[in-house]
Amino acid sequence: MKQRRFSGLTLGLAAVLSLGLVGCAAGGTAAPEAGAAGDGDYTIAIVPKDSTNPWFVRMEDGVKQYAADTGLDVYQKGPAETDATMQAQVIQDLIAQGVDAIGVVPVDPGALETVLKQALDAGIVVVTHEGASQENTMYDIEAFNNTDYGGFIMDNLAEAMGEEGVYTTMVGHVTNASHNEWADGAVAKQAEAYPNMTLLAAEPRVESQDDGEVAYQSAKELLKKYPEIKGIVGTSSFDAPGVARAIEELGLTGKVFVSGTGMPAANKGILQKGLVKSLTLWDPADAGYALASLATLILNGEEIVDGVNLGVKGYEDMKFAKGSDKVLEGNGWVVINKDNVDEFGF
Amino acid sequence: MRALPQKLVRSNEFYLFLVIVVLAIVIQARSGQFFTANNLVDIANAMVVPGIFAVGAFMVLVSGGIDVSFPALASLAVYATTRILVDAGYEGDLWLPFLIVMAIGAVLGSLNGWFASRFAVPVLIITLGTASVFSGIMQGALGSVQIPNIPPAMSEFGRATLFVATNPDSGLTSNMPMSFLLLVGVVVAAFVMLRYTTFGRGIYALGGDESAASRAGFNVRRMKFWLYVIVGVIASIAGLVRTSMMDQMHPTNLLGMELMVIAAVVLGGTAITGGTGTLTGAMLGTLLIVIVQNSMILVGVPTFWQGFALGVLIIVGTGISALQLTRARKRKTALI
Repeated sequence: MKQRRFSGLTLGLAAVLSLGLVGCAAGGTAAPEAGAAGDGDYTIAIVPKDSTNPWFVRMEDGVKQYAADTGLDVYQKGPAETDATMQAQVIQDLIAQGVDAIGVVPVDPGALETVLKQALDAGIVVVTHEGASQENTMYDIEAFNNTDYGGFIMDNLAEAMGEEGVYTTMVGHVTNASHNEWADGAVAKQAEAYPNMTLLAAEPRVESQDDGEVAYQSAKELLKKYPEIKGIVGTSSFDAPGVARAIEELGLTGKVFVSGTGMPAANKGILQKGLVKSLTLWDPADAGYALASLATLILNGEEIVDGVNLGVKGYEDMKFAKGSDKVLEGNGWVVINKDNVDEFGF
Repeated sequence: MRALPQKLVRSNEFYLFLVIVVLAIVIQARSGQFFTANNLVDIANAMVVPGIFAVGAFMVLVSGGIDVSFPALASLAVYATTRILVDAGYEGDLWLPFLIVMAIGAVLGSLNGWFASRFAVPVLIITLGTASVFSGIMQGALGSVQIPNIPPAMSEFGRATLFVATNPDSGLTSNMPMSFLLLVGVVVAAFVMLRYTTFGRGIYALGGDESAASRAGFNVRRMKFWLYVIVGVIASIAGLVRTSMMDQMHPTNLLGMELMVIAAVVLGGTAITGGTGTLTGAMLGTLLIVIVQNSMILVGVPTFWQGFALGVLIIVGTGISALQLTRARKRKTALI
């Protein structure tokens, strides 16, 4: 009796599973030919990682701006949460609708290869942002080159420090690739442009472990042990708020400075109190604008070459990344300070 | 009755205290900064959250379990509290945040307690599961994000200082946080409970031998349940302190602290198998780890070697504690 019930269960399960598989396959082949119109009246869809995340809500501002500037049908449509499967579903729907171009900010580049290949096979223009490893894309846009961005962080710190004094660098982890590229870029920029500044030789790089509390405690230790420090290059978004807390408590406001990456809303308090003069960031609205702009250029049949202009500040002179003919890098960073911190809305 | 000096020499706390003193002298010699007023205040400041956590972890260890869910529990409790109060635009006093966070902490703790008292599964396994559940609820169901503006009462509490210590040479100032009193309060309450109440003595009995404790008349199930409720409340207090002091809610800030705290308690001479240990030892162990963590840069240990140094300390320290325990046990068997 028990045996039979078990085999019945197995059969049922197998049936359900195969049904699911068939369903998937059917969904996959149902891509109709998309109209590569070529008449200048395009439909372009931008697919963010998550349509509710403030970062991508901000991106939509740029997408809408592009639609308003060009009169094209450009819109943003993303999954309700950061989920690679849901994002693939959204792209599948767009293929079925026959849009002309899709701009994607991939949740997981690997998980999107199949569906993006389907889009390309259907004649749809595919471009990506923050997906340098994506294979099935025509071009990928990066806001900036990591080394250059590090240099930009240094410019901001140097300005706060009056271009002189001892500084050190802080990264999330010494194993984090982009943080260390930023920090290396910052040090290289100082060596080149700010001769009166020196890197603290005894502790050239400390870790915040991507933790505001560790950043705070490490900064206190650093400033106790090396009173000559006048500035700290922060990289992780936890660095600047944590270091600022230490600067305030130690009574060093206006004597020691910190710079780094940070989101406007999260750092409003420390910027307005003057604990941090400026933070750096890239604006997702600009990236959204640039994505739509790049898609239009491709649809118009224009050749994408080094120095291509995507019509928004920071993306006017896009350069191919070293050794790549797909990844385009801009210099799309922005400064946030107490005057413009309210303008971003994220 | 043994004489006090002899008892002292045999005790784990005494050696731990010696290690701390030696370490302090080494740090002072290398940096000239350890025995400055502001550095001592900084260490007291850094001790608050791990210290409160250690009290909870200590009680569970003594009862014979290992709880790894307390950082996740605290994160969920304090995230939910902050979210509720921020969404409601709460501008009132501090009692309400404390009340809510402790209530949520108790409910989550009771979940641990219910499982631990009903099922004969090691607490480590249960709490591994509930830790994932807690952080899953926080990150999935509540969709946790960083909350930059916390209720004003919490923010004020985080900034409240008992006194300000100034270093006469460098002029650097450090604030002794009001929350240090909370640490003292929690430690005293736990000390009194463990030493002078039947419930507290029962926790030791439970860790020594569960069936013996049951035969001696302790209601083991009920005790376990309430123990985890209490530990949940203690952990949630630590969570609220951390969020208040950071002046921002970082949902994942506490996660990953559990092993360091448990190591600190074991370093303090608490048997990982339960039954023996002192709160003094647990606090000294925590103090030792906090000092080491907060002196790496002062001593000048390169960034790449800091994890290594901390690891060596934990291995050597817990090794010594374990050795002491085996020696003590041998003495006991020799007596029989």
